[in-house]
Amino acid sequence: MSSISGLVAVLLTVLQWAGRGLPSPVRPICDPRVLDRFIMEARDTENALRGCKAGCGVTGTFVVPLTNVDFVVLETKDTEEQALEVQSGLFLFGQALGAVRESVSRAAVKSLIDNNKSNIHSLGQVLRSLHIKDLSLSPAPAVGDSATRKVSSLSELLRVHTNFLRGKVRLLLTNAPACQQNST
Amino acid sequence: MHNCVALSIVSQRQTVTKRDGENRRLELVAYQLCSTTERVGRFVLRDKKMTNNNLNKLLVFCVLFCAQKTSIVHGAQALETKVALLLHAEPENPKCFAEGMSDLTCFWEEDEERAGSADQYSFIYTYQNENSSECSVTALPAAGGKRLYFCRLSQTQLFVPLDIRVFRDELLIHNRSLFIELVFLLDPPANLTLTSTGTQGQLKASWLPPSLKYMGDSMMYEVSYTMAGSHIGKVEEVQASSELILRGLQSGTKYKVRIRVKLDGISYSGYWSTWTDPVLMETMPGDLDPLIVSLSLIISLVLTLLSLLVLMSHRRFLLKKIWPIIPTPESKFQGLFKVYGGDFQEWLGHSTGGLWLRPAYFYSEEFPAPLEVLSEVSLGPALPSSALPPKASEALGEEDEDEKLKRVDSALMEGWRETPQEHWPMDQLRAIHQHPAPWTQSSLLESHDAYVTLNAQNHSGEEPLDDILEETLPLQVLFASGRTSSESRSDLGSFQQSSGLGRLSSQSSFEYPNHTWPPKGPGYTYMAVADSGVSMDYSPMSSSKIDDIGKGVIYTNEYKNEIPAHRRPIGTPIHFAF
Repeated sequence: MSSISGLVAVLLTVLQWAGRGLPSPVRPICDPRVLDRFIMEARDTENALRGCKAGCGVTGTFVVPLTNVDFVVLETKDTEEQALEVQSGLFLFGQALGAVRESVSRAAVKSLIDNNKSNIHSLGQVLRSLHIKDLSLSPAPAVGDSATRKVSSLSELLRVHTNFLRGKVRLLLTNAPACQQNST
Repeated sequence: MHNCVALSIVSQRQTVTKRDGENRRLELVAYQLCSTTERVGRFVLRDKKMTNNNLNKLLVFCVLFCAQKTSIVHGAQALETKVALLLHAEPENPKCFAEGMSDLTCFWEEDEERAGSADQYSFIYTYQNENSSECSVTALPAAGGKRLYFCRLSQTQLFVPLDIRVFRDELLIHNRSLFIELVFLLDPPANLTLTSTGTQGQLKASWLPPSLKYMGDSMMYEVSYTMAGSHIGKVEEVQASSELILRGLQSGTKYKVRIRVKLDGISYSGYWSTWTDPVLMETMPGDLDPLIVSLSLIISLVLTLLSLLVLMSHRRFLLKKIWPIIPTPESKFQGLFKVYGGDFQEWLGHSTGGLWLRPAYFYSEEFPAPLEVLSEVSLGPALPSSALPPKASEALGEEDEDEKLKRVDSALMEGWRETPQEHWPMDQLRAIHQHPAPWTQSSLLESHDAYVTLNAQNHSGEEPLDDILEETLPLQVLFASGRTSSESRSDLGSFQQSSGLGRLSSQSSFEYPNHTWPPKGPGYTYMAVADSGVSMDYSPMSSSKIDDIGKGVIYTNEYKNEIPAHRRPIGTPIHFAF
C-alpha cells in the first residue's frame, strides 16, 4: 500500500511539474458569456449581502482598484496597459476577499465569498488563454496607489468588485487581440 | 425651437466643466440666430453682447447650420421623442440618459408658473473619489404648460458612481446617484429591411445595429410583427444579432414589422429605444397547407367510413329497393321446385300438404273435368238390350285424350255458361243410350230423365287418332230432367249448340218432348243417365245398329264426380262420361 501511494504521489508531482513547465496551447476564451456569468454572480453576492447587519461582522479596510472607465482615455491605452490594470485589480480583490472570508462566521456568507474567489481565479485562467500574463498570483501590484482606493465595508467591497468586472475586465476581454482575430 | 436646443447642445460640447463667458455669449448669439433665421418659438437669451470676431464665427456657424439643417432637425426630433419616453419610464429626477459612449443628457420638468429662468438652476455632478463639477442648464418650453431644463455632459466615466445634485437658488431640488452605463437610451436601429427567405410563411428582417463600440455583443433587440390591419402582434427577442427570421407566418399576407433596441443589462443597461417606422412586406403565396390537406383527408375518410357503416347496416333494405327479389311461390309449394322440378302434376300426385288447395283449383270456372271418350262402335247386329259398356277410348294417346277432354270440356263450358249455376248438375253430361224398344222399358229411363247428346264433329280428320280402337264418332248425351219440358226448356234453353271448335254438338231431349228421341248416326253408344234426385245412374246403351253388331263390346267405366256442396244444390253426385 505504501509503495502504491508513493508511486501515485510521484506521478502527480511529475504531472504538475509538466503542466507548469510545458507551454500548453490554450484556446482563447472569447465567449463574453463566461465573464457575464462571473459578473452576475458577483452582483448576486452584492445584492445578497447588502442588507447584512453590521457588515456581516467584517471590519477593517480593503484596498481596491479604481473602476472608472473613460472611453476617450481608454482608446489611448493599449492592451498591455489595460491588462496590467486588470490583473492588479484582480489581485487586490483576491486579497480582500480572502481577508473577508477569514472574518465572516456564517456559512452562507462564506460560500458566497468562496464562489467569488474561485471566479477571480477562473478569470486569471481566461486571461492566460488570451495570452495575457496572469499576475494575479504575484504579490507586487505594478500599478501605483493612484489606481487604488480604500473601502471599509463588505457591501462597498462587493460593489466595487462588481463594477470592476463589468467595466475594465470586460473591456479588456472584448478588446483582446486574440478575440479580435476570431470575430473579424 | 428644438433646433435651437440642438444648436445649444452642439455649442456646449466643448464647455463641459467651465463657466466661460465667451462660450455663454456664443450660446446667446446662436439663440438669436435661431430666432431670426428660423423664427421659431421662444428662447432664452442670457446675454446680448457680442464682438465682431464672434460675429464672424457666428456667420460661419450659420452657414454650417443651414447646411446641416436637416440632420439637426432629425436630431431634434429624436431628442423630443426620447424626452417624452423618459418622462414616462423614469420616475427619478433628474432624468438622465446616455446616447453614446461618452455622453450624458439630464433633464427635469417644471410647471410654467413656478418655473424660473435657467440661470436660477445649477447642476452639480460628482464622480466617485473626484471633485464636483457643474453643468450649465438650458431651458425649453414643453407641451402642457411645462418647461424642460436640460444639462448635457460630453465626457463621462462609466462603471463608477455619479452623484447629481440640482439646486435652484441654492436650494437642493433634486438628488440622484447613478451609473452612466446603466442608463443607456439608444437610437432605434436603422435600415430595417424585410426580405423573403424562399420558404413559405417566413420573412427575414435585417437591420443596422447602433454604432457603439464595445457594446455590440451586449445589445438586445425586440422585433414586433403584425398582420397589416390587425392589432394583435407577436414579439421576438434576439441578442447580439443584426438579423432575424420570422417563422410561422401566414402565406400571402402582408406583415408590418418594427424593431427596437436595448442593452442586455449585464455590463450595460438602459431603456428600450423607440420603435422604428414600420416596414411592410407580403409573404409568399401559399401552397396547400399540409395541415389543412391532412385534416381534410382525415375528415373525408371519416365521412366515408360513416357512410359505409350506414350502408352496411341498411344493406338489406337497400338491396330490396335496388335489386328487388323476385317472389317465388316456393314457400307455398313445398318441394315443387326442388324435388319435382316444377312439375305441378307430379307434385300434385305426391304431395299431401298441398291437397287442401286443390279444390280451389279444381272448381274454378275452367275446371277441367275428366271425360272419357267412348269410341264409336261399327254397325253390326243389334245387341241385346243388356247394357253394353261403351268402349273406352283409353287407347288414345294421353296427349290426344287430354286434348279431347279439354276440347270437350271447353265446349261444354261454353255451351252451358248461359245456364244458371244451380242447374248445372242438371246439365251434366249424361250419355244414355236407350234402345227404342227398351227405351220405355228401361227402369232407368223415366219421364224426368234428360238426355244430352254430345256430337264430336270434324274431329276425326283433324287429330291423329292412331290409338283409337274405334272411332269416336259423335256421341249423343241424352239429357233427362224431371221438370216440365217447358220449364226445363226455359231454364236450359236450347241445347242445340255447337261448340266453338265445331266439334261437339249437344242435343237435349227437350227438343223431342215426346220422347221421340231419334238416335243419330249409324250407331252410337249411349249412356243412360238416370237422375233419381238422390243419385244418378249411368248405363251404357247403344243404338239399334250397334245392337245389331253384337260384336262390339261396350265397356263402361264408372265415374264419379265429386262436386263440392256449394256446387251441388241438389246434392246429387254427378257422373258423366262420353
